[in-house]
Amino acid sequence: MSNALEIEHLSVVVKGKELLRNITFTLSEGIFLGIVGPNGGGKTTLVRTILGLLKPASGSIKVFGQSPGAALARGGVFGYLPQHQNIDPNFPATALDVVLMGRYRAAGLLKWPGRNDREKAEQCLSIMGVEELRNRQYSQMSGGQQQRVSIARALASDPRILVLDEPSTGIDVVGQEDFYHLLKGLQKRMNLTILMVSHDIGSVTSYVDEISCLNISLHYHGNPLGALDEKVMTSLYGKSVDLLVHSDVCDKCERLRQQ
Amino acid sequence: MIEVLSSPFMQKALIAGLLVSLLTGIISAFIVLRKMSFIGAGISHAAFGGVAIGFFTGTNPLIAAIIYSIIIALGIEVTGRRGKISEDVAIGIFYSVSMALGIALVSLSKAYNVDLFGYLFGNILAITDGDILLTVAVSIPVTALMLIFLKEFFLITYDEELARVSGIRVKAMNVLFLVALSVSIVISIRIVGVILVAALLVIPGATARLFAKGLLSMILLSCIVGAVSVIAGLFISYQYDVAPGACIVLTAAVIFFIPLFLKKWS
Repeated sequence: MSNALEIEHLSVVVKGKELLRNITFTLSEGIFLGIVGPNGGGKTTLVRTILGLLKPASGSIKVFGQSPGAALARGGVFGYLPQHQNIDPNFPATALDVVLMGRYRAAGLLKWPGRNDREKAEQCLSIMGVEELRNRQYSQMSGGQQQRVSIARALASDPRILVLDEPSTGIDVVGQEDFYHLLKGLQKRMNLTILMVSHDIGSVTSYVDEISCLNISLHYHGNPLGALDEKVMTSLYGKSVDLLVHSDVCDKCERLRQQ
Repeated sequence: MIEVLSSPFMQKALIAGLLVSLLTGIISAFIVLRKMSFIGAGISHAAFGGVAIGFFTGTNPLIAAIIYSIIIALGIEVTGRRGKISEDVAIGIFYSVSMALGIALVSLSKAYNVDLFGYLFGNILAITDGDILLTVAVSIPVTALMLIFLKEFFLITYDEELARVSGIRVKAMNVLFLVALSVSIVISIRIVGVILVAALLVIPGATARLFAKGLLSMILLSCIVGAVSVIAGLFISYQYDVAPGACIVLTAAVIFFIPLFLKKWS
C-alpha cells in the first residue's frame, strides 16, 4: 500500500503568526483520517496546506509522492469540501449543474461536459442518495442536501483523496451519524482516502481509522481510541473537559430516529 | 424605419452596438454574480482619464483608454489584494484621480473641439470607420476568450477556492476577466458614454438573474437584454435626438423593472 500523505517537520506561518509547528505523520492510502482539535488549533490550516493553497514555512508535504502544487496541476487527486462555502444564495444552478462542475477538468479545455460526464454526475448524486434533487435549484436546498450535493461534486472528479473541512456543521445529530456511515461506505467502496476535519471528537472516533489531534503542534496521531486518553484530551482542550463517547449504535440517535 | 437603417452612421452604431452588447452581456452576468459592479463603475469612470491622455498625446483616444483602463483595473486588483487598503477604497481613489487627470489634460490640451459631452454620454454621429474597426478587432477575440474559458469562469464564480483546488489558475483568469472588462467598457464609450457604461455592465445581468435557472441561460438572457436595450435605445435616440447613452440605459431599466413589477403583482 502506498502512502497518500507524507508530512515531515511541517511548520506554517501566516502574517508572522505560527499556525502549525513541526507536524510529522504519514497516512496510508485508503485510510479514513479524522483531524480534531480546538478552534484556532490549525485544522483548516493543515488542510489548506495539504491542498497547496498555503505554502509551508519549513518542512515538506508529499501527496502520493509529489508536492501539493504538482498534485493540483496534475488534477484528479483532491476532492474538496470547504468549511464555509461562499456561495451566493441566489446562484443559478441545479444540483446536476453543481455536480457537473466536478467534471469540468476531466472534460478538458474548450469542451463542455458530455454525456459520459452527465452519467458520472448522476451516478455520484445517486451514491449520495440525492438523485431526486438533480433538477432542483442548489440555492433552495437545505444545508444537509447542499452538503451531499457538494460531496457528489467532489466525487465526480474521481479524486484519490476526499478532503472534508467540518462537513457536519449545520446537520442535526441523526443526520450526522447517517452522514458518517455514508462516508465510511464510500471509503470501502471506492478505496478512497478520506481526510475529515471535525471539532466533534466524540462522534468521529467511532468511524475513522486514524485520528490526528492538532493544537498548533500534533498532540496525538494513531488509533482513534488512543485519542480519548485523558492526557491527550487535557493537552488539547485544557483541564475542564467532559468526554461523551458515541458508540456505533447511539441510544440518543436511535431514539431520535424513532420519533 | 428603413430610412433610419439606410443612414451610414446608424448602421455603424448598430454594428458596434450589437458587438458591445454581446461582450457586455457575458461580462454583466459575472459582474452581478461576483458582486463586482463597483469595480465596473470605477473602471468606466477611470477610462475617461485614458481618453484624455489620447487627446493630449495625439494618439487614438480609444486605444489610449483601453491601455489605461487595463492598467487601472490591474492596479485596483493588486492594491486590493496586497495592500492595506481594501478594494473599494482603491477603486474610489483610482477612479476619481483618473477623472481629475482627464479633466486637467482636456483643459491643458486646449482642444475646444473635443466632443466631451459625446465621450461622457455617447454620440452615435461621432462613430468613425476606425472606431468600428477597433471595436470589431478587439471585441471578437475578447468575446472568444471569454467563451473559451466559460467553464473556468463558472467555477471561479461559484467558489474561488474550489476553482484553485480544481487546478484552475485563478489569478491568470482574474487578470483575463479584468482585461475583458476594461475592453468592453472602452468600446462601449462611443455609444453609451463613460458615465453610463456601468449600467450596461449591471442591468442586463441583473435582469437575467431574475429568470435564469442556470449559468448558461443567465448569460444568454443577459446578452439578449443588452442587445435589445442597445438597439431600441439607438432608435429612440435617433428619433427624439436624445443622447444615446441615456436612451439605452433607460430602455434597459424599463426591461428590468417591468418583470419585477409583474412578478410582484402576479
